[in-house]
This record gives sequence, C-alpha cells and structure tokens, in this order.
Amino acid sequence: MILWRAAARHLLRHPWQTVLAVLGVALGVAVVTAVDLANETARRAFTSAAQAVAGKATHQVVAGPAGIPEELYRSLRLSGIRECAPMLTAPVQTAAPPYRTLQLVGIDPFAEAPVRSYTGHFSGPLLETLVAQQGSCLLLQSTAAALRLRPGQPFTVESGGRRVLLTLAGYLDPPDAVTRLGLDSVLVVDIATAQEVLSQEGRLTRIDLVLPEGEAGARELAALEKLLPRGTSVVSAGARAGALDRMTRAFRLNLTALSLLALVVGMFLIYNTMTFSVITRRSTIGMLRALGVTRREVCAGVLGEAFLLGSAGTVAGLLLGSLLARELTRLVTRTINDLYFTLQVTGVHLYPETVLKGVLLGVGATLAAALPPALEATGAPPRAAMARSDIEETRRRLVPWAALAGALLMAAGGGLFFVSSAGITGGFAALFAVIIGYALTVPGAVLVLSRLFRPLLGLWLGVIGKMAARGVVVSLSRTGVAAAALVVAVSATIGVGIMVGSFRDTVQQWLGSWLRADVYLRVADRGNARLRPVLDPGLVRRVAAAPGAAGYTLSRRVSVEGAEGATEIFSLQMPKSTFIGYRFKEGDPEAAWGPFSRGEAVVVSEPYAYRHHLTVGRRLTLATAHGPRSFGVAGVFYDYGTDAGIVMMSRGAYLANWDDPGVDGMSFYARPGVSPGELVAQLRRLAGSAEVFVISNAELRRATVQVFDRTFAITGVLRLLTLVVACIGILAALMALQVERARELAVMRALGLTPAQVWGTVIGETALIGILSGILSVPLGIIQALVLIYVVNLRSFGWTMELSIDPLLVLQSVALALVAAVLGGIYPSLRIARSLPALALKEE
Amino acid sequence: MTGSEAPLVELTGVAKSYREGDRERVVFRDARLAVAPGEWLFLVGRSGSGKSTLLNLVGGLDLPDAGTVAVQGMPINRLSERERTLFRRRHVGFVFQLYNLIPTLTVGENLLLPLELSGQLDQQGRERARYLLEEVGLSDRFSSYPDRLSGGEQQRVAVARALVHRPELLLADEPTGNLDAETSRQVLDLFERLIRPSGATMILVTHSMETVRLADRVVTVREGRLTEMTAGVGP
Repeated sequence: MILWRAAARHLLRHPWQTVLAVLGVALGVAVVTAVDLANETARRAFTSAAQAVAGKATHQVVAGPAGIPEELYRSLRLSGIRECAPMLTAPVQTAAPPYRTLQLVGIDPFAEAPVRSYTGHFSGPLLETLVAQQGSCLLLQSTAAALRLRPGQPFTVESGGRRVLLTLAGYLDPPDAVTRLGLDSVLVVDIATAQEVLSQEGRLTRIDLVLPEGEAGARELAALEKLLPRGTSVVSAGARAGALDRMTRAFRLNLTALSLLALVVGMFLIYNTMTFSVITRRSTIGMLRALGVTRREVCAGVLGEAFLLGSAGTVAGLLLGSLLARELTRLVTRTINDLYFTLQVTGVHLYPETVLKGVLLGVGATLAAALPPALEATGAPPRAAMARSDIEETRRRLVPWAALAGALLMAAGGGLFFVSSAGITGGFAALFAVIIGYALTVPGAVLVLSRLFRPLLGLWLGVIGKMAARGVVVSLSRTGVAAAALVVAVSATIGVGIMVGSFRDTVQQWLGSWLRADVYLRVADRGNARLRPVLDPGLVRRVAAAPGAAGYTLSRRVSVEGAEGATEIFSLQMPKSTFIGYRFKEGDPEAAWGPFSRGEAVVVSEPYAYRHHLTVGRRLTLATAHGPRSFGVAGVFYDYGTDAGIVMMSRGAYLANWDDPGVDGMSFYARPGVSPGELVAQLRRLAGSAEVFVISNAELRRATVQVFDRTFAITGVLRLLTLVVACIGILAALMALQVERARELAVMRALGLTPAQVWGTVIGETALIGILSGILSVPLGIIQALVLIYVVNLRSFGWTMELSIDPLLVLQSVALALVAAVLGGIYPSLRIARSLPALALKEE
Repeated sequence: MTGSEAPLVELTGVAKSYREGDRERVVFRDARLAVAPGEWLFLVGRSGSGKSTLLNLVGGLDLPDAGTVAVQGMPINRLSERERTLFRRRHVGFVFQLYNLIPTLTVGENLLLPLELSGQLDQQGRERARYLLEEVGLSDRFSSYPDRLSGGEQQRVAVARALVHRPELLLADEPTGNLDAETSRQVLDLFERLIRPSGATMILVTHSMETVRLADRVVTVREGRLTEMTAGVGP
C-alpha cells in the first residue's frame, strides 16, 4: 500500500509528464475509437438499410441495366411462387432545401407482407391511398420532420433531370429500431408511381423471393431458373449484400490501419514515458530493492502505474473518440456516397465492441509498452547509488545489439512484403516490423550523428554547442529513446503524406489521359452516384449537331448483376484516337483497338483485373440480356475512378448484348478556333429547358480532384491527429529529460553559467535531438510511403501509383521535429534559468 | 569474535571482481570473516578498497564470484534473487551515507515501509515507528517529506527506518560520512542508545576515528585482504 503511494506521488509530483502521457494514450485511443465508430456506424447503416429494404427475401431475381419486365413477376405468381414481391428502386433528390438524396422504393403493397415486415403494418386507409392515389408516398416520421413535411403535403423530387410532384400520405411504421435505422432515407411509393417517377414504365429493378430452406428450396430454385427469360438471373440475397460489404471493406480496412498507425505512435510515446519514469527513478528503485522489495513487486509497481495512466487515457480517449467520430462518420459517409452508394447516417452510438476494443488497445497497449521498462526496472541492482555512468555504459554496449536486432527485424519485415499471399494484414504486419526495427537502430544512429555534429556545433556555439552535443551522447539512455519515438512519429506523417501526394499526382496524370474531350454533358442531378439517368434521345440528337463540335462520343455506364455481385460496364462510342490515348498497364492500345471496336473483346481497369485475376488474353463472362457471354480481355488500363473496377466495351458491343440504347454521357471535341467556353454555351443553348450539366474539361478535372481531396480529407485528419500525438510525445520526452537534469544544470549555474548559457545548452541539446530525429525520420517515412503505395494500396484496391515525393512535405516534417523539440526544451530551461541554483541542488 | 558461539555472519573464501571497461578489477581474492551475534564490527580502509562491496555481499545486494556468504548459518549467495530479497526484508537493516530515504514518501511512511514489507504493519508496528521517531527527536516530522529535512535529520530518520522492523543484522555504510562533527555525535549516540540494547549485530563502514571507538572489533580492508585490528585503534 505504501509502495503504491510512492508510485502515485511520483505521478503527482510530475504533473506535466503525467498529463502528457495520459493525453498521448487518450489521443491514440480516440483516433482508433473514432475510426472504428465511423466505420461501424456506416457499415451498420448500410446493412440495416439493405435488410430493411430486402426484408426476409432469401433470393432476388435481377437483370441488366434495362431491368426486369413487369410480366415476369406476374408469370412467377401464376406459376405458384406466392412469396415474392416486385421492387423498382433508384435514388431521387428532393428539389427544395434541405436537399437530400432518398432511395425511392416502389412496391406492390398487397404482395409485401410475406417479404418485408414494415409493410405488414399498413393500416387499411393508408394502403388504399398509396395504391389508389398516384404520387402518394410514405416516409418515416423523423425523416418527414427533417424535410419539414406533414401528411397531405405535396413536395417535389428530381430524378434523371425531371421533377415529379409527390404527396406524403402517411408515415412508415417500422417494427423495430434496426428497421427504423434502415428506413431513414427510404421513400416508399406504389410500384406504378415509382415507374412514373423514374420513367421506367413496365420495368422492375428486381423481384424479392422467400424460398424455403433445404431440398424444397433447391427444387423451387431449379424450377424458377427454368422460368427466367435470358438476361435475368436469380441470386442469393446474402451474396449481393456481401458483395457490397466487400466493396467497402478495403476502404474501411485502410482507415483502420491508419488509425492503428496513430496507436503505434502513441504506444511508442507511452514506452518513452514509462522508460523515462523508470530510468529517472532507478536509484529510488535501488533503495527499495535494498529495503527488501522484490523484483516482482517492482515490476508490478511499474505496470500498476502504467495501468493507471492507461486507464485514465482510455476513458478520456473513448470520450474524445466518440466526439471525433461524429465528424469522421460524416467524412466516411461522404466518401462512401462519392465512391460506392447512397447512405445516410443520422447518429453515432458508442457500440460495446468499440468500447471493448478501445479499452483493450488503450490499457493493453500501455501495459505492453510499459513491459520493457518494467523489466528494466527489475534489473536495477539493489544498490542505492548505482553510478549513472554504469547505466549509460550498459546502454551503449546494447546499442550495436539493438541495431543488429533492428536490422534483422527490418529484413524479416522486408521479406514479408514479397509474400503476396500475406494480403493486406501481412503488409501491415511487415510495415510495423520495419518501423520497430528501424526504431531500434535509431540510438546507434544518434550516437554516430551526434559525434559528427559535435565539431560543427562547437564552431557555431563554442563550448555551449560542444556541451549540448556531448549531452546527447552521454545521456543516450534517455536521448536514444526520445529520438526513436520522435522518428516513429514524424516518419508516420511523412509516409502518409507522401502516399496521399503520390496518389493525387497519379490521379491528376490519369485524368490528363482519361479526359481527352473538351466538353462533357450529362443529366443534372444533385446525387453523387456513379450511375446516371439516361439523356433524352431528342436532346442527344440536338446537341450532337452542335456547330462548334468537331466530333463527339456517346457513353453509358451501367451495373450488371452477376453471381459474384455487380460489374460496372462503361460503354463508349469513340474514335480510335481517343482509345489509343488511354494509358494501358497491359496490352497494346493499337493492337487492342481492332477486337475492341468490333465488339469481340473488352478492356478492363487495373483494380478489376486485380480483383478478378484477369490478364490480357484471358476471357471474362458477363450476364448479358441474351444470357451469359464470354469476352476476350484485350488490355488492362489505368483507372482510379472506382476501386471496384470497370469493364470498358465499345458501344456497338453494348447495344448488341443489352438492347439498351440509352446514353447517359456525351463528350465533345471543339472545332479548331472554337473555345471550350463557346462550345459549352452552344450546348447549353441547344439543350434548351432540359436539366443538363455541361462542363468543360478543365472544370471536370478540377471537380474530380475535389472529390479526390474530399475522399482523402479523412486521411488528412488522421495524419493531423498522428502529428498531434507525436508533438505531445516529444514535448513529454524532452521535458522529462531536461527536468531530470535540473540538478546537473544547477551545478552548471553554480559553476558560473549564466541563465542564457544554461538556456542555450538545453535548447541546443533538444534542438540537436530534434534535427537528428527529423533527418532520421525521412528514410523511414519514405519506406512507409513505399509500403503503403506498393503493398497496402495495391493489395487493398489494385491501384498502381507512382511515387512522388514533395520535398516541401519532407522539409516541413523535419522542421516540425525541430520546432517540437525546441518547444520541449523551453519549459525546463526557463524553469532552471529562473530558479535559484541552491534550490535545485537541494532537490533530489 | 567472542567465545564458541556460532557466527551470525560468516564469509569463507569469498572472491569478487568487477569489469571496468576492458579491465578486470579484483576486489577480494579469498576473503574470510566471522561476526558473532551482537558484535559490532567496523570496516576501515582507503576509498575503493572494497568496504562497501563487502557490505553489499553480506546484505545480499551483490553476489560473490566464489566462496560463501552465510548469515545465521544460511548461505545467502545460494539463495535465489527472490529468496535473498525476502531474507533481507526480514533480517537486515541498512543505513547509507546518503540517507536514501524514498523521496515520494513522508518520514512516517518511510518508517512504515519496512514494516509493511515484512508483514508487521499492525498497531504495535505503528506504535514502534512513532516511538523510534520520538527517540530520534523527530516526532513532529512524521508527515514531512524527506527533502524538507536537514542532512542530520534525514540520517536520524534513516537510522530509525533501519531499526523499525527489529532486524538481527544492521549494515551501515559511512553513516556519518556526510555529517558535521556535532551531528555525527548525535547519530552515533543514537546507535548506542537504540541498537546496543536490542542486541543486534552491526557491520559498519567508516573513515571516522570517533566512530571507530564504538567498535567491538575493527577490520581493515586492504588490497583484497581483511586484517583484524585492535578495537579502538584508528585505520
């Protein structure tokens, strides 16, 4: 009990160090918790939305972009399949503020009961209104309130550039909280209304089925498959939801990994704090050992202290994390909306799993980080006054061994990078091995570099400079650890910074080759979905004849459902010159053009080839309107539009296989002498009252880069947080280092050093640690960037990026290390300079 | 050593050396020593002669390279680290030159710590701590932190701490080395007043002539050898 009191008072006597240590853990836990909550909230919102809309359906009949003919539903029911319900669904936007994207879900209220639970609660009059009154719809009461709508009130929605008036007939009544969450952004209408709003008369998106389990189900499924016309297929509902989940998994995993990087930095800082705490109390521990305190009790004491710090940090981290999660959830949801599908998240809850993870990480990481210093403390010989030089000598003897161990760990990590079967997790394990290995070599590097810097500092600052350089070397047990922590922290920000910068540069280069036309045109809508509504055929004819255009392309982007989920098909009618301008990773554009333009082959994007293990010469089967058809792969091109990947085919091939003449995008090449601005004006004039979005190449590039920056805003936030964790750690370490030297500095003052000279010695020393750490963090930062680019991102998304290192970013990071280090020296140097030397000499 | 009584401390054939960089410094080659129960044995010798090393070996703080160190007949160098620590907390009291009070514990808590470690922290133990503090003249400093005390006061607390759990063996490493003549006398007076009546054995390292006068026996440590001197004669 008395022992514990001694440990607790040590923490209270060094309040700044204690607060900074707690803050270090808190920020580490907060980042991980916030990312986890944001991911989990988005995932749950998606899952419950999918479940609420799909209901109890076990299977779904799906088809290509043109949808399913309504007659198929009738014939299924006539054939005896009773438990089935049709659905036509697409996103629509409200036309007045507050603008919001809602998922329009058209259903047959009479067929719903066996399939979906929330529709079983319709009261008689509501059902009648929904079916009998065209344009009536249902919303959750909370959604209606957010849109400021009351029953009976009309409102306008936009779809495919058209505006349609709907009337709120009443409220949805979900049976449970999960369904309620899933229905947050759902607008329920009768199927006929949906067909009118979406201009898809006679079509359905899918038919949901409830098939029995076991053999009976298999028999029904076999019978059903015989009834299905070509171009339609039946897929299991779970497989479809799974494919969507897989699509965002890599994105979520990447965020989790980045947050773990922040935690690793945090752990290093905890290790640093605890090591300092132990080293500075070595003589006290020695006294206790002389009094009969066992090694185990000393170890338990240090771990107990770490537990206290870890627990306090974890509680603060969980609170901070749940606050931070609100902002991160917004960023994650926005990215998912930009890249994958429409999702609305209204609230962030602290899930028990997340809390458990935070506690395990916060307390566990603190204890793990404190274990080496705790063991070190038990090694303190039970002699009250062990010579400081002994400790330093022991440490210096360990330096070559630590460097060797570090080199081996880095080699092991390096080897793991080349094992591609290790996947993303293996990539991260290797990365962490390299980081820790590198950190082990830092004290040795500090030793060598300080000796090199010593004459330089001597020339510059005279004896003070030499003392500062010497101080770093003779206190290697402290400075080595502080420098290693600083290197890990700063390198993480360099690594992530280079990765994002390289990605951005790569995307900009890609946009240069991908966006070759002068002006682009598509239907105007407020949604961010990749799949757009089709343009009016009359409009296409009108704008195609624009006098300022030398040529144009027609495109259509659709999603084709298959057993393994959806495949995005991008069909394009374009001149050869455009096609051969695309950057190919595999295959020759000149050679690929022939089979591509004849419709015999397709080209696939890099992530698609990576996910589906496709190379040039292999074949790919797609579910066409005329049944499954195999296409040759003529090339693999670079594309950074979606990590799910796309298949590009000629428009001719698309028309022949899917009977869908729709066009959702056009691009125009300006005649010589016509500026893109003039062409934009011409096209807008020709479009007349049609709601179209006409944008020049430069504007589109800017908008795309904006979306990119939005996507990586979250990475930026995480990088910033890692930086804050790092700064706090550096401050804590250097303050501890200098506070510990109070007595030594007081002796210097007693010997006649002026306050300014003491200040110079302290700042010189911390600045040297800062600059050395800054320099040493550059190679590790670049290694991390290489791993993130060539291993982690490649294995997550299948994207090749070109490494581009911004010297400014590197300089900034080195400067940051220096500034943080100098800041860390200010408080103790001022304290010493201001206090009377006699007082410091009297203190322990 | 008196009569045929079994020694409380016995060193046989003890050898000890330290590495200093690339060199090996031999402290003892074949040291032999026996200290009877209740005897006050003082070690004198030049700085660096190995006096403190001998004390550390007897206290189980360090291990010999060869030979046996036995306390109460128990060869403590053959005990495990844990067993040596448990032995020390029950049977040995230390007084150091630099007092070595735990800075984060109050004077009172510094005294209670050995009692807690040896499982004697009961009402009786608390009363003994109070009594000893009164004996050393610091009963009003129970709640003060060590850094508020003068050197002499700190050493008096250290003496009280060394005695509080009634150890059979007391090891003192230059207990007056840091104190002025008057304060040294006060501390030595405390030794006489508190330790003699308890019958505890004491091994004390000193340079001070005045201190040596209290010894039953004086041993000189020189070039790795222990040579017995007549009591009351300086080094």
